[in-house]
Amino acid sequence: MARDQSTEAEIRQTRRLLAAVLGLGLIAIFLVWRIDSPRVERLRMAVIDRIVPDMGWALVPVARIGAMVADFTSYARVYEQNRELRRELQQMKAWREAAIQLEQENARLLDLNRVRLDPSLMHVTGVVLADSGSPFRQSVLINVGQRDGIRDGWATMDGLGLVGRIAGLGERASRVLLLTDSASRVPVTVLPSGQRAMVAGDNSPLPPLDFVETPDLVRPGDRVVSSGEGGVFPAGLPVGQVVEGRDGRLRVSLAADYLRLEFLRVLRSQVAPTIGDPGGLLLPGGAVAPAVPADG
Amino acid sequence: MADWRLADRRLAVPVAATLAVLGFVFLSLLPPTQAPGWPGPDPVLCLVLALVLRRPDQMPALLIAALLLFEDLMTLRPPGLWAAIVLGGTEILRDRARLSREVGFWAEWALVAGVICGAFAANRFVLALLFVPQPPIAPVAVEAAATVALYPLIVGVLRFGFGLRKPATGEVDARGRRL
Repeated sequence: MARDQSTEAEIRQTRRLLAAVLGLGLIAIFLVWRIDSPRVERLRMAVIDRIVPDMGWALVPVARIGAMVADFTSYARVYEQNRELRRELQQMKAWREAAIQLEQENARLLDLNRVRLDPSLMHVTGVVLADSGSPFRQSVLINVGQRDGIRDGWATMDGLGLVGRIAGLGERASRVLLLTDSASRVPVTVLPSGQRAMVAGDNSPLPPLDFVETPDLVRPGDRVVSSGEGGVFPAGLPVGQVVEGRDGRLRVSLAADYLRLEFLRVLRSQVAPTIGDPGGLLLPGGAVAPAVPADG
Repeated sequence: MADWRLADRRLAVPVAATLAVLGFVFLSLLPPTQAPGWPGPDPVLCLVLALVLRRPDQMPALLIAALLLFEDLMTLRPPGLWAAIVLGGTEILRDRARLSREVGFWAEWALVAGVICGAFAANRFVLALLFVPQPPIAPVAVEAAATVALYPLIVGVLRFGFGLRKPATGEVDARGRRL
């Protein structure tokens, strides 16, 4: 009996030692992540890339059922919604008239100018596979990746407005960091006043508008579009509308429908040409002298 | 034949735990259908703690570490840290598994609540120490409270859904080994 107990204690000690070694290993992984985050994140993306696209067959029907349940609960408000829709439809009819007239005018003007639309704004469309899985991170996975020519940092839209940017690439999947994530910062312009600001995600459905130059010029209802500063996003992509939060803070009501992210467009943005040299002298005869550094 | 079935039964808990964790991760990965509001509980933590208190021999540290590391990787958490903290928590509970058999459920719940709150606090502390950006404290506190509140539910499902209860003191399994 005594011997039995001593072997049991030995087993327990060995087990505790093994658990300690395991714990140290995990902490080592965490420290490596802290020191060299990009490499470990690439590893994480590789794991996700292996697993998630293969889960697609299971994710799609379950997500569809979830959407059906959400639709079903909305039946409760069907009468209210119907009235709302009628009112909206009336407004839309007026807008449609205006849009048709503008379209005709636009076509005429384009024809006069012989404008060529920017060919750099082509897009790749992907299907949303999965969510970030954590209540503190706002991102989704889509089923296009390096294989489809996607690059890190490209802008992503649904049909209505900017959704986020590509942050994390796998061979067959990529991660879209949503504008609502607390790590997301996007430079925007508020129209019509032209004020520059930042949309800074904070995990809430309405991200606040930070660093507004003159907040007095920004009113609730103003349109917010991406400003293209910093060369991350193309300029002029619709982001949403300014609203005022209950705390008096300016926030953005996003144009994209975050509750129904299904198909996302990844905009292929070209690398913007950087202007490095200060510009050469124009000499008579058409030759250009090389730029001379100011101190040399 | 009988041996085979017994071996099977000893594997049942680890296999079921793995499947359950995979299921929870899978559910959390579903695309968003509702606006981000207050975070819900962490079912994986509840399940692992409940199983360690019920079948400490069948929840080896290696399995716990592997499951939690997988969850870390899939849900964008800093990999390794949460897994290490939960592993520490389960080791604390493992030492007290026999003790918690003798006390009632309330004492067990209080013990587990302490471990859960400690785990969340330790996670926050380490992240703050290494200057990792963190979510604000209010939602994290809500998540911890919701996890504590979920624990009896998970225990109930294990008890009444799967017939897995804490063995009484001195109870033996079919082979005559002490549980």
